[in-house]
Amino acid sequence: MRHTRLLPRPVQTAVLVVLLLTVLGPVSYMVFASVSSDLDVASGAYLPTTVDLGAYRRIWSTVDLGTGLLNSLLVAGVVAAASAFVSVGSAYVLVRFAFRGRVAILRALLAMQSIPGTLMLLPVFVLFASASAAIGVQVIGTRWALGLTYLTFALPFSTWVMVTYLRGLPPELDEAARIDGASSWRILTRIIIPLSWPGLVVSGIFAFLLGWNDVLFASVMTDPDTRTAAVALQVFGATQEGGAIPVYGQLMAAALVCAAPVVVLYLVFQRYLVGGLTAGGVK
Amino acid sequence: MLAPGGLLLVLVVGVPLVVAGQISLLDLDQYTFRQWLDAPFVGLDNYVEAVRDSALPHAIWVSAAYAFLVTLITLPVGLAAALAAHDRFAGRGLVRSVLLIPYVLPAFVVGTVWRIILQPDGVADSAVGRLGLDAGLWLNGPRSFWALVIVQAWTAWPLLYLLALAGLQTVDPEVHEAAAIDGAGWWVKLRRLIFPYLRGPIALGLVITFLHSVNNFTLPFVLFGVPSPRDVEVLPVLTYVESFQNFQFGLSAAMAVFSLAVVAVPIVAYLRAVRLT
Repeated sequence: MRHTRLLPRPVQTAVLVVLLLTVLGPVSYMVFASVSSDLDVASGAYLPTTVDLGAYRRIWSTVDLGTGLLNSLLVAGVVAAASAFVSVGSAYVLVRFAFRGRVAILRALLAMQSIPGTLMLLPVFVLFASASAAIGVQVIGTRWALGLTYLTFALPFSTWVMVTYLRGLPPELDEAARIDGASSWRILTRIIIPLSWPGLVVSGIFAFLLGWNDVLFASVMTDPDTRTAAVALQVFGATQEGGAIPVYGQLMAAALVCAAPVVVLYLVFQRYLVGGLTAGGVK
Repeated sequence: MLAPGGLLLVLVVGVPLVVAGQISLLDLDQYTFRQWLDAPFVGLDNYVEAVRDSALPHAIWVSAAYAFLVTLITLPVGLAAALAAHDRFAGRGLVRSVLLIPYVLPAFVVGTVWRIILQPDGVADSAVGRLGLDAGLWLNGPRSFWALVIVQAWTAWPLLYLLALAGLQTVDPEVHEAAAIDGAGWWVKLRRLIFPYLRGPIALGLVITFLHSVNNFTLPFVLFGVPSPRDVEVLPVLTYVESFQNFQFGLSAAMAVFSLAVVAVPIVAYLRAVRLT
């Protein structure tokens, strides 16, 4: 079959060149600015006049990025593992069994992902504050409390991703096992979960990114010791206002360090993640 | 097996939603929020105050206008990108990965980077100046609204591109053949033969882009900081400031309920656009 083209070659080239410039302009500037002098950045120079990698050394003490990255890793990691494994059970039931209210639950799962974050943050904050006052233990500011708030978004999200994945598994597999007398639990643990690793990885990564990328919840639910990398960077950026020339190089270097794990995750798992993205259109 | 996930969902989503509704009916501030059950009940006062004496109507207007413009921009950009990245060429895999970068970058990173790009006398101003245009303030004043639209569009368009690209994979190969034989120009072919396949995915992409933009707290928060310039005081930021800087939890909860009303229509459209079973 002759391969037909959607766009004439010159149009295609023009579109791609414009898009690549639009994407790579700011992205390359991020890299350049991280090795530029702060004076270069302040005067609007695109290319650095001198290259200095010192910012990548200094951010570990000025921003306390190490603590932030560790906190992000811990909270987002636990949330990812928990929601991936809890969601596979719910998703299995939602895909394989017909029962009243199934479609309503699927609808609710999707709708929950679009609830404004502020609508969830407020009550969670007030509930935790009241709980602290009642039992006399500090809840707000702990990593556990933060992780629990992330579940409000991660759980519906992971369940939906697993639903779209399990749909793709042939039902004959568990039907055969059921005829052999296997219980639903046995089918789930022996057949579904071992076959669902790609789905579990995708739903885990999305839940992880939800925590890693969040500023809204973490800005309220953390203190300086439990601060995530996102909040550490945001606070660092906000404190650069006023006074002498801000340390732009360090800001850009820290931003790059925070973005690197996310970009690497995407590049490594691109094939699976893109499938997940287009299935539910989730971020 | 539905039970653990179901119970957890009711606990972590259902309970907060109910409590949010209740808080919106209380006079809850920094003195009373630790014993929220004892806070005075004020009925719909918070809702009345939100509509009459707060920045809420303005914030709803800003949020809706900016999200609409972003959605409008991402449509031609995402569609053109999908068409251009569909045809084979050397290095297509690499280009496809690069095109995803703006979407993949965390919003707090995008905000941090663009805040530096758009600062007074920054690299954006020198680029604009080189084109002979007036440099000016991007992070304050009326232009800040356009800064928000541009940056959010920059980071949001690849979703539409991805969905359109996925839609292109579903085009029947025979359609391509027919298009090759038919003598019509490329634009006519696209419009008549290809675009009908993309209607569903594009509708989905537009709805999600609108929802993401309305609900995006991180980008405006990091890009402009708080107190935010009035021109970019979007709903999530206003609600956040009202509760965690002014400690008006009751009023803020009422605002949050209003923001749910703003996204209700697109959410219903979203549920219709997605294959549920």
